[in-house]
Amino acid sequence: MIKKVLATLALSVGTLAVASSAFADYPERNIQGIIQWGAGGATDNVARSLTPHVEEALGTSIILNNRPGGTGVIGMNSVMQQPANGYTVLYGAENPQLYPIMGLADFDYSAMTPINVIGQGLVVIAAPADSQFDNFKELLNYAHKNPGKLRMGGTGAGGLPSTVLAMVNSVDSLDVRNVTFGGDGPGITAMLGNHIDFMPLSLAAAQDQIPAGRLKGLAVFSKEKIEELPNTPPITQALPRIESYLPWGPFWAVAVREGTPDAIVKTLSKAYEKGVANEQFQTFLTENGAKPLNLQGEKAEEFLNRWQSVTAWALQKADAAKISPQDVGIPKP
Amino acid sequence: MSNEPRLKAGERAFNVLLLLLSLGVLYEAYQIAGFDLPNSPGAFPILLGLIMIASMIAILWGQRQHPKPDTQGALDETRQFLHEHFPLAIVVFLAMAIAYLFLLEFLGFIPATAIFLFVAQVYLRHGRLLASLIITAVATGIIYALFKLLFQVYLP
Amino acid sequence: MADSVSYFLMAWLDPSLLMLTAIGTLAGIYVGAIPGLSVTMATSILISFTFSWDVNDALALIVGIYTGGVYGGSRTAILLNIPGAPSSVATSFDGYPLAQKGEAGQAIGLSTVMSVIGGLIGVGVLASVAPFLSDMALKFAPRDYFLIAALGLLLVGSLAAESLSRGIFAAAMGAVIGLVGLDQVTADPRFTMGSMQLMGGIHYVVVMIGMFGVAEAFFQLHQLNAKPLRQKVDKIVPSLHLVLKFLPLSIRTSVIGVIVGALPGTGGDIASLFAYDHAKRSVKHPSRPFGKGAYEGLVAPETANNAAVGGAYVPMLTLGMPGDAVTAIIIGALVVHGLNPGPMLMIQAPHIFWFTVGNLVLANLFLLIFGLTGIKVFAKVVELPKAILIPLIMVLCVVGSYSLNSSMTEVYWMLGFGLLGYFMKIFRFQMGPVILGVILGPLMDKTYRQAMSSVGNDTGSFLLSLVTNPLSLVLTTAVVLLLLSNTPLKRLLQRRRQA
Repeated sequence: MIKKVLATLALSVGTLAVASSAFADYPERNIQGIIQWGAGGATDNVARSLTPHVEEALGTSIILNNRPGGTGVIGMNSVMQQPANGYTVLYGAENPQLYPIMGLADFDYSAMTPINVIGQGLVVIAAPADSQFDNFKELLNYAHKNPGKLRMGGTGAGGLPSTVLAMVNSVDSLDVRNVTFGGDGPGITAMLGNHIDFMPLSLAAAQDQIPAGRLKGLAVFSKEKIEELPNTPPITQALPRIESYLPWGPFWAVAVREGTPDAIVKTLSKAYEKGVANEQFQTFLTENGAKPLNLQGEKAEEFLNRWQSVTAWALQKADAAKISPQDVGIPKP
Repeated sequence: MSNEPRLKAGERAFNVLLLLLSLGVLYEAYQIAGFDLPNSPGAFPILLGLIMIASMIAILWGQRQHPKPDTQGALDETRQFLHEHFPLAIVVFLAMAIAYLFLLEFLGFIPATAIFLFVAQVYLRHGRLLASLIITAVATGIIYALFKLLFQVYLP
Repeated sequence: MADSVSYFLMAWLDPSLLMLTAIGTLAGIYVGAIPGLSVTMATSILISFTFSWDVNDALALIVGIYTGGVYGGSRTAILLNIPGAPSSVATSFDGYPLAQKGEAGQAIGLSTVMSVIGGLIGVGVLASVAPFLSDMALKFAPRDYFLIAALGLLLVGSLAAESLSRGIFAAAMGAVIGLVGLDQVTADPRFTMGSMQLMGGIHYVVVMIGMFGVAEAFFQLHQLNAKPLRQKVDKIVPSLHLVLKFLPLSIRTSVIGVIVGALPGTGGDIASLFAYDHAKRSVKHPSRPFGKGAYEGLVAPETANNAAVGGAYVPMLTLGMPGDAVTAIIIGALVVHGLNPGPMLMIQAPHIFWFTVGNLVLANLFLLIFGLTGIKVFAKVVELPKAILIPLIMVLCVVGSYSLNSSMTEVYWMLGFGLLGYFMKIFRFQMGPVILGVILGPLMDKTYRQAMSSVGNDTGSFLLSLVTNPLSLVLTTAVVLLLLSNTPLKRLLQRRRQA
């Protein structure tokens, strides 16, 4: 064990020796990884599980930092303020693709260079364990009779819960009080204490709590039941008409500032490709109900554009977009 | 009320400046969401602006009977303020600190820090070149080793 | 039971785990002592090293760093008036005056012993009533956090030494500084004046380093030629008599620490301020007046912030929810090591719980050893000529604020706040309330709005909810009582009684 500590020290001295030579190749020092959501949430879990494998492939440390706030605008903005030298990478979720239509910011992922689209997750609508509702149908019925009474945990405009709510509202009506938290982590904590009535969550954040009986799954946001939560009905059971939006789910991506030299983008892409492909990480993703994607370059851009156009127009249809996707140049799917 | 402490030179001016700052805070707070109370991003900031203004008015009101500083006119008061709180050593040190921050960006951490430590010590200790040089070298080395090697902080 | 004991002793009996805990504790003390280098940062760097290690090795190292780091912040707070971390802000209130009186050695010695006592009480609570405490912590609704923040902001009454209006002004200004940036809820920019740089907000450590460290450095420049104070370094380990004298206080403040630490959303920084306030209110005859080097003012925050460590582990080990940033990283580490740090952790991997408890006890013992050695060298730092010390403080402040985000912006802010702090100090404003505002202002804003939306934005039901729930009622009563004791109303009542 002591050997390992010494080896680590030696390694860091070694990194330094490399760093001091002026013509050293990228990466010559450690890299900052900015996570746009807070600790304990899905994006955070994904970033922290993936990074060790990338570090191995890249041969340097990636120091992770949570910069939550403003539906992730704060974190993304801080990466875009740093020099385009590949030493600051963003660990983001799906939210940036909705900034333009939510009026949160005038940029989205197209203002950055995507390195990897890691995977796509599933959404579960969860409630406290002793909730009076056993499925989403019951919750909807209650909400119809008592509009504006239920407390939904949210993560801000453009956050996953508000997107799901908008989709539900485009085919039904669900009038709730939106209580905003800094991410799904604090939201889950509040739900454990019965301070909110339900919250749409990324499965990667809620999956442990439901089998343990701490939370109750009301519906999975998909067409069929899923293996991870065999007792939770699909949302189409309560809302058949929502099927047109499905499958839908959040995704996680890694990006760097636009204008980063091609060679560096290539190095990073390769390292992340290797990291995501790592068996252990793949197991982590599938265990958490997420579909590994591991997309780079054009394929990543294609995915991002498609996701954006589908979701943005769905929100427009639900009358939840502040600015029409048409006006910000998002084509119809 | 002669037992009240005498106002310091510049104290009233500083407090008035802080009052202006508070008014600025209130204006900026109003800009956030107007008076769209009670649950808007601007609600708490407006409350804070009002608290700042109220407490500063209370401070100024409480001081209205305090004896004025022993100075003639605003110019003299300014001079006395600068004399008391900004003697040459502080002004020069502040200038060196600002220069240090600029140098950091141009020269990088090690040279800038070494220059700053050395020059500041030589100035503050009136000479003692050799001792300053040694302390500078040791301190720069330790800081570099600690931050860069051990904790891997990226330094400018 | 036998299993628990063997898990508990695991770190004690395995030489390499023992060594790692020791290394972690020692490193933690120094990481904690340097402003800008946070325990959070150190653990997140270490996680990347420990990925290939065995999970127990990684946990042992982190427990050490965490314990040492929370304690280490007191070092620079006492010696240089720069709190190494926000949880040591309250330590500087009486610790620094002690160092200025030549008692830096005694102050560090006392704070070490008290930190260990606080830490052990924290672990004790964790080991005995963790599930109960976590259930209690979950009962805290947004409105209760709002009341806690309000309660905390009212501490301004005891932090503002001479003038309450100055204290209130400083706290409100601090809260404004804390709110700068994009709003967490709606992403509206607040107080950014159109600047992209300000959108991410101003890091509170920048304010802390500037207002405490740099402002004090400028003040010290006035006494350049003053002969450095000789530090008394003979009686460093506090006498048993002294420790026993403070034991009742330290138990009370440890309980405060462990509860505040267990609440997800509050941590050692708030705990230590509450503890300081508690000491000031409950100790009628301190060894010296508070703020002028009272031992009680050192004991309270030091026990509370170390007890908060044990508290922070409570929601992590029982629910898999992070109690603070460090435990969030530990959760990440457990995930990487294939463990599911959810509510099933105590059932699926019960050894993690008892291993952590045993490890925390061990780390506290190492803290006692490392904390009490080398004090003489540290105390000598204060004896350095000011002309050498002040430039070094400046460099430390620059590195500390730079390393927060690897950007120069923070460094310029730090210097700016240093100058502002210098001016404010000249005109008798206290720095404590500013930090109080920076820490609690955003918490209060966020929780107020969560509480409001929970009741459908209806002010009436919001106020009603503050008194209809037992927990909220207790907190509301505390707020009202504190408010009354701080305002002229109390004096008015007393006057009427006299008349």
